Order: sequence, then structure tokens, then C-alpha cells
Amino acid sequence: MDPTPDQLAIAQAPLNAKTFLCGYAGTGKTSAAVERMKYLLSQGVRADSILLLAPQRSLHEPYLENLYLDPYTGGEVTPATLGGLARRMVDLFWPLAAEAGGFARPDLPPVFLTLETAQYYMAHLVRPLLDQGFFESVTIDRNRLYSQILDNLNKSAVIGFPHTEIGTRLDAAYVGEPAQRRVYADAQECANRFRAYCLENNLLDFSLQLEVFANVLWPQPPVREYLARTYRHLIYDNVEEDGPRAHDLIRDWLADFDSALLIYDEGGGFRYFLGADMSTGLALRELCDQQVVFEQSFVMSPPIADLSAHLPHAIAPSLSPPPSTDSTGVEALHIIQSHFYPEMLDAVAGEVRQLLDGGLPPSEVVILAPYLSDALRFSLTHRLETLGIPWRSHRPSRSLRDEPASQALLTLAALAHPHWEIRPPKFDVAYALMQAIDGLDLIRAQLLTEIVYRPRELALAPFDGIKPEVQERITFSLGLSYSILRDWLLAQREAEPLPLDHFLRKLFGEVLSQPGFGYHADFDRVRVAASLIESFRKFRIALDPTGSTNLSGLGKEYIAMLQDGVIAASYVEAWKQQVTDAVLVAPAHTFLLMNRPAAVQFWLDPGSSGWYERLAQPLTHPYVLARAWPFGQAWTDADEVNASQESMSRLIGGLLRRCRERVYLGLAELGESGFEQRGELLRAFQKVLQEQSS
Amino acid sequence: MMNFLPRPSQQNILRYRGGLLGIAAVPGAGKTHILSALAAQIIAEGGLQDGQEVLIVTLVNSAVDNFEARIRRFFENPLQALYKYRVRTLHGLAHDLVREKPASVGLETQFSIIDEREAGFIRREAVNAWLASHTLDEYLDPALDESRREWVRRQQLPDMVDSLANAFIRSAKDRLLTPEQLRSLLDASPAPLPLAELGWSIYADYQRALAYRGAVDFDDLIRLALTLLEHDEEFLERLRFRYPYILEDEAQDSSLSQQRILGLLSGATPPSSSGSGWGVGNWVRVGDPNQAIFETFTTADPDLLRDFIRTNPNADMPESGRSQPSVIALANHLIDWVMQSHPEPLARTALSLPHIQPVPEGYQPVNPPDQPEAVRFIDKKFTPEEELEAVAKSVKSYVDSLADLPDEQKPTIAVLVPRNNRGIEVIEALKKRGVETIELISSTSNTRAAAGSLNYLLSYLADPQSARKLAKAYEVWRRDWRSDAEKMELVKATIDVIRRIGEVETFVAPATLSGRGSGVNVDWLALLSESESEQVLQELADFRVNVGRWLNAVTLPIDQLILTLAQDIFSDASDLALAHKLALVLRKATADHGDWRLPELTSELAVIAKNERRFIGFSSDDSGFDPERHRGKVVVTTLHKAKGLEWDRVYIMSANNYDFPANLPGDRFISEKWFVRGGLNLEAEALAQLTALESNGEFDWYEEGAATQESRLGYVKERLRLLYVGLTRAKRDLIVTWNSGRQGDATPSLALSELMGWREGKG
Repeated sequence: MDPTPDQLAIAQAPLNAKTFLCGYAGTGKTSAAVERMKYLLSQGVRADSILLLAPQRSLHEPYLENLYLDPYTGGEVTPATLGGLARRMVDLFWPLAAEAGGFARPDLPPVFLTLETAQYYMAHLVRPLLDQGFFESVTIDRNRLYSQILDNLNKSAVIGFPHTEIGTRLDAAYVGEPAQRRVYADAQECANRFRAYCLENNLLDFSLQLEVFANVLWPQPPVREYLARTYRHLIYDNVEEDGPRAHDLIRDWLADFDSALLIYDEGGGFRYFLGADMSTGLALRELCDQQVVFEQSFVMSPPIADLSAHLPHAIAPSLSPPPSTDSTGVEALHIIQSHFYPEMLDAVAGEVRQLLDGGLPPSEVVILAPYLSDALRFSLTHRLETLGIPWRSHRPSRSLRDEPASQALLTLAALAHPHWEIRPPKFDVAYALMQAIDGLDLIRAQLLTEIVYRPRELALAPFDGIKPEVQERITFSLGLSYSILRDWLLAQREAEPLPLDHFLRKLFGEVLSQPGFGYHADFDRVRVAASLIESFRKFRIALDPTGSTNLSGLGKEYIAMLQDGVIAASYVEAWKQQVTDAVLVAPAHTFLLMNRPAAVQFWLDPGSSGWYERLAQPLTHPYVLARAWPFGQAWTDADEVNASQESMSRLIGGLLRRCRERVYLGLAELGESGFEQRGELLRAFQKVLQEQSS
Repeated sequence: MMNFLPRPSQQNILRYRGGLLGIAAVPGAGKTHILSALAAQIIAEGGLQDGQEVLIVTLVNSAVDNFEARIRRFFENPLQALYKYRVRTLHGLAHDLVREKPASVGLETQFSIIDEREAGFIRREAVNAWLASHTLDEYLDPALDESRREWVRRQQLPDMVDSLANAFIRSAKDRLLTPEQLRSLLDASPAPLPLAELGWSIYADYQRALAYRGAVDFDDLIRLALTLLEHDEEFLERLRFRYPYILEDEAQDSSLSQQRILGLLSGATPPSSSGSGWGVGNWVRVGDPNQAIFETFTTADPDLLRDFIRTNPNADMPESGRSQPSVIALANHLIDWVMQSHPEPLARTALSLPHIQPVPEGYQPVNPPDQPEAVRFIDKKFTPEEELEAVAKSVKSYVDSLADLPDEQKPTIAVLVPRNNRGIEVIEALKKRGVETIELISSTSNTRAAAGSLNYLLSYLADPQSARKLAKAYEVWRRDWRSDAEKMELVKATIDVIRRIGEVETFVAPATLSGRGSGVNVDWLALLSESESEQVLQELADFRVNVGRWLNAVTLPIDQLILTLAQDIFSDASDLALAHKLALVLRKATADHGDWRLPELTSELAVIAKNERRFIGFSSDDSGFDPERHRGKVVVTTLHKAKGLEWDRVYIMSANNYDFPANLPGDRFISEKWFVRGGLNLEAEALAQLTALESNGEFDWYEEGAATQESRLGYVKERLRLLYVGLTRAKRDLIVTWNSGRQGDATPSLALSELMGWREGKG
């Protein structure tokens, strides 16, 4: 689609213009910004002088997709998140950072922690405190306890308050049973100890990276000069999804740029639970020369637009303006109703098939749910597959530990490293073979494992040694794949030990990705393998930056930590490697942060409480720790209700603004777990339908 | 509203428009029906605002479904009542409340709830740890010699301390005492309280273990819900708006904290906490204090309901169409005798009025006609074995006499016994005579059938080469066809074929299908096409698609595997809910036992299927036992579990002074162990020490032995109610027997003698 005059005006603004572009999703803001980027390049601006800032990496996608369409000069555009930039700066200016930041060993290099390695160290520090009675009044999974303490540290950095205030801020807003209060003091103590440990050992978790950059490096002239020299043009999309500390920095920094385009989604703020702050983002507009508002949606059909006026109002009457039209847009709403859950999934898959048969491209269909359990994902995608529908999925909340593909890789790793003395049971080996060898079903996998595998000696017998009639049952082609895999594993036992990530990469490259093997054409598994490799690599670097430790011992330690759940928070990397022309199956929030519309949206489980309830986290609180929350003001039930309504209204508004034509409700009277579903979203729909009928 | 002709007493209740109302209902009075009608009436009259619901609270999940079905039936258009009422068990309600604000009580969104078995397991570990480092010698009978002592320590103490700890923990939770608070009370105690120390130690250990698992138990749910309501006024206000009317069924089984939850929700609070009156609120409580019976330790107390009824507007529901007049007269006489003449004056409050009245003429249901001769007391002194023989013989000849009747005309029959062990003996005796028995144990066969079905599927997936297990899996897949004889023919034929598969992979995953092999591997199903019927082939083809999916699902985490399987084989709401619960239980099991694979998980499921793990809570754990479905067969169960049920013919066994003591000299009490000094009931003593900790006056300070005496009285009263419940199960025939006990010195229970004498006097 050609740019509109309004978009062109943004794109072709003078090379020294600073513009604040505001509007809802679907009004063409990002398209205008992409045009702006292309325009800058076409005007001879060096690519490497353009900083493309966004709160999370997926939001860079539309820019990078368009970047390569036309030739340009001068290096590469820098796509960055503020966290990523912080890390790069700390790395670059480490001597400066280390000295002033209070690190104990400025002479040694910094070690950057990932979420999982930070969790590993946190576990290490907190475990002994638990035995001393810390956190006795909370009932919480240990690993999530660690992650919430880290979350508090991250919030203090993103929002910009001293990490030593975490406990008092939370405590001051607490309403409820007094015995609960002490957990905040405990959480504070743990955060303090963790920070101290990091400073002592040159470890930088996300919070420390950001703090060192913002508090220590930013004020230093050499750093400012370097940044000002390097980046002359700023494109900053989804300003509203970043935290106040990022906004503070931009406030300071903006004057240094020749040009800037800041883009703000009025209906955003979906990342509030990560510290995003719309108000501090919006305040940046005062610093821009011009403010432009886009109002016309390029996405929503008139009925969807009507629905987007009525539904959020039905959800939160006090927070959304009353709709100006009587037409509720319910004609864009289709209800798939069933008594039981599986029936609903069948109907949804069948409807998708019909839509595609009618000529709709798969990428124009998204299937969304507030939560996407593995069982739901599995049941649904299986149904799609059965009907020949291409699909893709993205679930950041799914951990590597639970991924069958990563379990299979680790089982194979154990088979190749007898000295780890991890002896996978036969079941694990059969499952691993089933995944590793393309077309090997569970029955043949078990048959094969029964015959060839002896756990005690970790022995893998050759296929040729099996009785011919059994070989036939397993089939020779599968047998051949097994033989290749076996030979490779046995050769590894003799070879020089490799770090686990190198080993896995080799296993993947030399065997599993080849034709005849299970990772050959299975993008899901490839994704998992890549994530596992990356996860271990980061673990290795964090634990052993100098490479001095016994390499294969580290692999064993990693597996133990993974099984224990300590580093289970490692996620499968993003969806972007996947086929793009496919039906997306995702949690609703994930879809929102992909910044792309779809013609048809399926909303599963409209009766679920997941549409409006935030995740309960006893040790942290996204609203109370926000900058705007007055210290000492209690967080009451009314606040909670308002916040839930507001967040659901925002979520639903956001979804509808990303919908072109139609919304299907996948409504099973009994939810996944067999309970009746009657959450707030369903009630809101009820209201809109009643409005229509009256 | 639907055509419903309320009886006069019901009409009275339907005049309710608001406020507090306590209703004492007799057995068979139709409580569910009247509460459903009341809910429907409130809804139909349009008094509810947007977002408001009538809250109906009941005791067990089976009642939840029952209520929902009944309320719906009052409306021609079910949409009229959509989202206008909510039926919950108390635990389900507590779960809802806690789920709404978990973080306020230190929980995270994903908190899990452990069942009684897991709780028992964790507690037992804490008990064992305590016993390993402490001694209870100061409480053992000093007359025991050392070898005897050692035997008691090994064989008796673990069970006894476990039971004591269970009561102590539950009671502490009912009082909202955390281990931490308990500790400070103990530290401030003016005198040592060794049993409370013991209780605290195990409680603290147990709670730590729960926290480690990120889990709470059922009592925690109640405790946390109450804590939430007491500390978050705005939340409470919001809930009060949401639930403007609360209708509570089986209110006699509420504990103090449960009563307090509903009180807070309704706006009414017991006088003890506010000083004057109950306050205002729309709260209807229906129950029968005479039926407050408890199999294991509980914090429930029927006096709570009695007080409520006494101090608030109240009504009776005395009419019951269940029993024939002679049974009713008998039950009423038991009430009168207990209230006026029980030799233990303090036991006279065990039962209370109203009397049961037959349904007046012109209303439904009609009581069975009077048949005085159908009520029989066998006064003969049997040994326990003779009693078994006599009852088995009587049942046998009765069942034989029904042989020619069509099933739907056969009567329902039950044998009720005071304890489980006795029930097992009865079942064996009946089986020996070829009488078909139905077991009614703590969960129903539905639960077990569902767990069993999943168990069969997992067994197959753990051993996918087995044709026999595959056939079983097929049978499970077609479980919905069981009641259809024609379809079952097809199922049987298909099973026969599956059993004959030599190499299962040639059916489930034929190499030719995946494009592999060279004709050596064949599609077994394709080869079959000559010899089998079209229908069987179609069955096999359909089944194969499912099996393929299951085999692929095997690498999923166990919870997802279970849910996936469940979605394929269950359509029933309670089955699905159960499957979800099983999924969580097994997921937890894999988290706690990292080395468990399918075989271990399958055995875990078998444990559940065999009913060794009991579920209570939110899924329809028991879809309700329906005696009507077992006409002509004999249900054998305990008196406790018979509550809420009715049969045409009822046998009550073992009505002697051991199982039904009257606190007369010579009565023995099961909780007073022979090896404990002074015959102390340590469980009762431990609870008394707990009470002492909370008291502040020197006059109610702990005094050893007093609690043991008091607990005797509680037991005597509970047993009187148990007998009352037993008698009122009978619609037409009632046969009561007793035996002389293991030591040969037991006598008929005092109540039995009284009833026998009264009948003779009448006769």
C-alpha cells in the first residue's frame, strides 16, 4: 500500500525534525516510521548513524524486513532495546564502569547474566536463607521465588528507584494480614545480598547493566560523546512500552540527535508488568518540535470499529468513553459454542479450514487464548495439522525443560558422555530416538531400545546385531538412521570433550538436521535445539568466563540445574525463524506485541479469568512499584478491580485494533479443566449482545 | 416458574424475602428442592442487579450438579437464570476467593492444592521425624514392661501420633493459628504443654513441606479465604455486592471458620465477635443438627447451627415423605428418649426437635403405607460371626424372593455397619452366598472408573507393543458405548480382532503409511479387509487415528498427556474435571519424583483408581451415589457414608454398647488406648492444650484428663445421631441386630434396648 499524505509528511520531514507521532494501533504509525527510515537512507544518511530503539526485539521486525528492499550505504542500522544498548555500553566502557560502579575486580572482565544464570546465582544465595526461616509465610515454588526477587531488582532499574527501596515501597502499600508483611523485608534482604554478590564478582544481571549504564556511564562525558557521535538519528517505536528510566535517558539524550521520530501507541501499555509507563513516555512529546496524531485506522472494518467502541466500554464503563454509535458491530462477531472443550477445538479448526478454503491466507488468521497451556497448544495444533493447516506458535512462558525436543537432546548428550554417570532410563532413550529419527514411532522406538540399550553400561548395540525379523519390523531405513546416530555417539565418546553447546551444535549439524532425522524439517524442534544451545552457552559464559573449568562437568551441572527447575526459566527463542504464512496460535498478549494485524481472530476461552486477572506474585507488584504510585498509599481492592478492568479493556481494544474483519469466540461451556467458565469478558460480551437486542 | 406445589412448611419458607433465616429440616424433607425453589424465586422476582448472584453453598460436589439442574428446571428459558446464581461447596467457594487474590495471602497464581492422601503422606513424614527425636514415654502406662513399651513405640505410636497431629493441625487452622503464632503462644505459656509442643512441631514441619511444594491443603483454603475476608474490607464489600443472598445447605456440618466465612459474606456475624445480635444479611441456613455425624476428626459443630436457629428468625421443615409411619415413629421416639431420659444428662442435647411428620395429604411425595411388622429388632445375642451369618442369610433369602421381579420393580437394599472393617466382612459373607453387593466407599465408582480408564491408556502407552493393552485402550476409548447393547457387540468384535494383532506397529504405524519399508512391512488393517465386517474395519480405522495421536503425545509433560487423552475419551464434565485433577496430581508427582516415568505414573494412577487416594474439593469427585441404580442388589456401607441416601430395606448391624456407648460404667472408648497411662485420650488432651493456649483466664486452664472425659461425651452424642441417621435411611423395612463383641461382653446399646422396649410396650 502506498503511503498516505500524512505518512509521507512524517517520512519526508526535514533531516533535523523531531516528531512525536501518536495514535492507536493500526493507524499506520509504524509504516510511516519505516518510510522515514527509508527516506533518511535515500537522503544519504549513513545507516550506522540511525538508532532504531524499541522496548523489545520483536518490535524491530517491520523495520528490518523493509531495510533490505532498497540499497543503502554506511554500515548497518542499529536495532536496539535500551537494555541491549546498556549492555553494549557497559562492555565497551568497562574500565570506567567497573571503577565507578563499585565492582570489586575492575581488572577482570564483566560477566553478563541472562535471566537463567541470574536465577542460578540467586538460588545459590537464597537457599541457605530459606533454611533460616526466610519467606515462611508465603507458599510459592522456589524457582518462582528467585525470579520474583530478580523481578523486583529489574523493576527498580527500569522504573528508576534505588533497589534498597523495594521492600519499603511494597510494604507501605500492603493491605492485608499483617503476618505477610515480613516477606517484603526478606525480599529486600535477598535483593541486597544478590547485588552485593554481583558487585563482588563482576556479575551483571539485567538490572545492574541498566543501572550501571544509566547511573554510572551516562553522566560521563566520553560516553555521551561516543553515543552522540555514533547515533545522529533516532527512531523510537512503542515508546509507551518502555519504563520511566528509559524515558529519562531519552529526555536527556534527545537534544543530541539531529532528528528523531518517537512513536506512541495510545492504546498500548501492555508491558506494564515489566515496568512500562505510558505517562512518562507521553511526556516526551513536549521535547519534540512537532506532535502528530494519526486517527484513521487502516485495519478495522466498520463493524470491528463499532465493536471496539462498545466492548471496552462494557468492560470498564468508567474508563472508556461511551460509544458514539448505536451499532455494536456484533455482525463481526461469530460464536462457536459447544458444551465440551474438545468439541470447541474441533469446531475452531474446522472453521479455520473453511476460511482458508475461501481464499484467506493462513497468516491472516490468529488463534488466541489468555493462557496457552501445552495441552491446549498440542490439542489445537494437532487438529490444525490433521486438516492440513500450516501453523506457528510462540509461547515465551514455556520452559526448555518441558520441551520434548530438548529432553531428547540432553538424553543423547548423556549417552555420549558416559563419565557424567547420568544413566537415562529406557523410556527416555526411546523418546529421544523417536524424536531424533524421522518417522520412528513410539512402538518401534521402544522395540529398538529394548534390544539395543543397556542403561547400566550405557551400551548401545548395533542394528546389524538384531535378529533379521526384528530388523524388518523396525524397518531398514529407520535402522539405518539409528546406525548413523549410534556411530556418531560412540565416536564422540572417544573424541576430545567439547563444551555442551559445541557438542549439541555438532550433533545437530552432523546428524539431526540431516534428511532421515527428526530435526530435519521440524522447525519447532530446530527452534528448541537452538534455544538449548544458546541457553547453555550463556550458562557456560556466566559460570566460567575464563574457560578454565572442567568443560564437561559444566554440562552435567547444567543438566542438573535444568532438571531441578533452577534454570528452567530458559525460554525457547522467538518465533521469527518459523514459516510466516501460517496460522498463529499464541497467547493474546504475545500477539499484541508482534505489531501486526490479522483479518480473523479466534479468541478461545472468553470465559477464562485470564483475560483480566494479573498473575499473582506475592513478592512483587507492578503497580505499586510504578513511578506514579505515591509512596505509602495502600493498594486496595478497588485499585485492583480498576486495574483489572483497565488492563482487560486495553487488551481487548488492542486486539480489535489489530483485527480487520471478524472475531470468533471459541466458547466451551466447560473449560479445559471441566469447570464452567463465566469470566468478566464473557459478561462484557453478554452486555454488548443485550445492547444489540434492545 | 415451573409448576411446583409446595407443602405448607415449604410455603412458609418461600415467603422469605430477606434477612437471616435458620431452618431445621428432618431427614428426607427435600432441602435441596426448597433451596433451589427459593433461589429460582429470588432470580425470577428480578431483585438482582447486574453482576449479582445468588450464592448456594453446599457440602459435596454431587450436590452442586444437583442444585444446578434443579434451579434450571424452574425456568422455561434457562437464559433467564444465566449468571444469576452460583453453586459451590464451601471448599470450592474458598478456592474461588483465594484464587481471586492469592498474593494477598502469600500465594502465587499457580498455587496447587494437595489432596488428603498427599497431605497424609507429608504429615506422616513429619510424624516419623518427630518420633525419631522425641519420646512420648511420659504418657505411656508405667505398668508396661520395656519390651511391651518398645512394641508400642514401634507399632502403635506412629498411627496414634499421626491421628493426633491431624486433629491438632486441622484444629489450629480452624482457629487461624499459624505455626509462628502458635510458637509465640507456647513461649508465653505459664506451664509446659507437651502435647501442644508435639502438635506445634509437626504442624510447623508439615507447613514447611507444603510451602516447599508451593501447595496448600484443604483446610488452608478455608483459613486463607477467611484471612482474606477479615483483612480486606473493600474486597469483602465487593463480594457482598456480588452475593446479595446466601443459601446454605447442610449447615450442621459447618465449622466455626466456615460459618464465619459465610457470615462475613452475608454481613451477619455471630454475636460472640460483635457483642450483640447477628447483624444483618440475607443468609438462609438449612440443616439437620440431628444428622451431624463425622467419620474422622473434624472441626464441624452442630451446635453452631442450633445457636443460629435459636437466636434468629427460624422455620422448620418437619415433613418427610421418605419413610413409612412406623419408621418415623421410631425415629421420633429416639429423639424424645434422648432429650428426656438419657441416663447421661449432658448427652440429652445430642438430638433435638422437630419431630418428623409424614407429608400431608394432597402433597408429594406420599409416604409408604404403614407396616409396623416391617420394623424388626433382633434381640438375640449373636457373636460377631453369628450376626454376620444371620444377616447374610436373611439378605440372601430376601434377594432370592425378588428373583422374578423385573429389575425396575425390585426394592433397594442396604446393610449399614458402624465401621469399614465390618463392612468388608459383610461383603465377604454375602459373596460366599452368591449375593451381588455394591460397595459404597468414600469415592464413587465414577471417580474410579475415570481414573481406571486413564490408567488403562497409560498402561498401553508404557507398553505400546502389547496387543492386549491396546485392546483395553480401545475398550476405554469406547467407554461411552457401554450401555448400548448393540454397539457393545461391535466393541466386542473389534476387541477380538485387536487382540489378534501380532505386531502392533503394523496396525498403529504401518511402515507403508509413512512411506518406509519395501513391502515387507504391511498395513495390517489393509490385509484385514477381506475377513472382517465393514463396521469393524471402520472402528479400527477410527481408533488408529486416535492411537497415533496418543503415541505422539507421550513425550509431553505428564499433565498435558493426561489432558490430551482425557479430551479424547471423556465427554462427561465430571470426568474431565477429574482428569484435570489427575493431571495436576501426576505433574506434582513427577516434580517430586524426578525419576518417575510412565510405569511409575501408571501405578500412581492405579492407586487412585483403587480409591486409595481420595479427592475432595472442586471437581465432581463424587457424582453422587444413586441407590436407585442398584435395585435388587445389596449396598454395603458404613452408617456415616449412608447419610443423604435412602433404601427400601435397611439392615443396621453391630448396634452394641461398644459402637454405641452411653457413658455408663463398663463402656469402652475406642480413642482411649490401653497403653496410655490413666486411659487418657491423647488426641482430646492435645486439643485441650491447644485451647488452653488461646485462653486467658486461669479458670479455663488445662487440666489433664478433663478433655478425655469430655470427649467421651462428644462421642456418645455423635453415636446417638449416627443411630438416628441409620434408622431414618429406611423407607419401609428396617432390621436391627447387635453382637456381643470380640470379647463376648458387649451388650445391646442402651438406645437399642430402649427402642426395643418401647416397641414391645406398643406392640
